[in-house]
Amino acid sequence: MTDPLLELDDVYKSYGEEQVLSGVSFEMDAGDVDVVIGPSGSGKSTMLRCVNRLTEINDGDIYLDGDCVTDPDTDVNELRKQVGMVFQDFNLFAHLTALGNVTLGLRKVRGMDKEAARERGYEHLEQVGLLDQADSYPAELSGGQKQRVGIARALAMDPKLLLFDEPTSALDPELVGEVVEVMRDLAAEGITMLVVSHEMGFARSAASDIIFLDDGRIVEHGPPKQLFENPQAARTGEFLSRLETTHEGE
Amino acid sequence: MPPLPLQSDWAFVVGNLDLLLVGTGVTVALTAASILLGFLLGFPAGAVEVYGRGPLKRAVETAGVVLRGTPLLVIIILLFFGLSVSSSAFVTATIALGLRSAAYQSQIFRGALQSVDEGQLEAARAVGMGRLQAIRSVVVPQALRRSVPGFQNEFTIVLKDTSIAIVIGLGELLTVGQNLYQGGRSTAALEIFLTVSLIYFVLTFVTNRSLDYVDDHFSIPGGERA
Repeated sequence: MTDPLLELDDVYKSYGEEQVLSGVSFEMDAGDVDVVIGPSGSGKSTMLRCVNRLTEINDGDIYLDGDCVTDPDTDVNELRKQVGMVFQDFNLFAHLTALGNVTLGLRKVRGMDKEAARERGYEHLEQVGLLDQADSYPAELSGGQKQRVGIARALAMDPKLLLFDEPTSALDPELVGEVVEVMRDLAAEGITMLVVSHEMGFARSAASDIIFLDDGRIVEHGPPKQLFENPQAARTGEFLSRLETTHEGE
Repeated sequence: MPPLPLQSDWAFVVGNLDLLLVGTGVTVALTAASILLGFLLGFPAGAVEVYGRGPLKRAVETAGVVLRGTPLLVIIILLFFGLSVSSSAFVTATIALGLRSAAYQSQIFRGALQSVDEGQLEAARAVGMGRLQAIRSVVVPQALRRSVPGFQNEFTIVLKDTSIAIVIGLGELLTVGQNLYQGGRSTAALEIFLTVSLIYFVLTFVTNRSLDYVDDHFSIPGGERA
């Protein structure tokens, strides 16, 4: 038995009085694509941010590839080299070109020289179909293009795990497709991904597991077929049917 | 026909233009030295106000409040006659103008650093950069661009305020003009001080245009102006 790639063990997180995560536990193996769904405010993004410690948990443990990442002695910068993150609002470095966005981490964190970083940067821009925009600045790109650069930036660090925090929520509907397509490609390549998203098409076709989070607890966790066709918990069914109505026509 | 008084007075100014230009040189040098000192102290001070904590942050904030709350004239007289920090009027004027400018520049940079979206720092951290590295590589380059308009303003203010060094006898532009007039060699006060004003105007105009160029040159394509 090999260790799971990611394991959350009874994770608690609160902001003051407000309990956000109340005993969250799950595991995912290398190559898995887990999609986290749940109502707004259910703790999805917080859970994701705890994995790379942009948010610190109050109790419990998180393991990446067998190492406890929530140990106070863990070097967060070393951890984050191994965990890429894609943000809802892209957060591209505004003063750098698409290529510069992808290569900054390679140069400053991986210590690559400029030429090697550029080469690697071009590779990953090609991977997301944006080789021709390498010299464009974020403000010159569409939302979909920005997010694809964001994905290339995360990929370039060669992470063990990619976190996606609602990667398509800030996009105009007609731009969602290009980003989902890139994510689908990555899933097919065997990249391990933990995705907070309500893109049901992606969840159905690319996810290994769906995690339904409500009020800081995992209500249901299983393969998409089971969750969508035969939800075990009443709340899962309710949430999914609400989602279907609001996302009709997708 | 005897020459018009007006003509002879302008002739006096033209005849002493070399002295005025020497004074202009001192003004330019004093401005450059003060702005530089103000930047070297003001930029870190602004960063400490945004990212620092504890006694250091409080000390920096207090120094800023005191300096911004004291008239420049008082600072320069205090430093020269009260504390005698240097026997050189130029050095004293540089310290006075530099400290005062640092107090204002710190606020320009503080505002610029704070205006950079929190997500920029977060994205840099998420890639694995340390806090300092992330601030230096991602936040500072954007903040510096955004501080150009405020800096432009500050540059102009310092340039004009170098004239206050007249009270400690530094031979900058205004002092030279004053000496020409008070030496009793001419009554051309209007002509002299109009010329002095014109020189200040040309200097501020050229400075502003140069910084407009910097602003354009470093602006981020497709995005905000620097």
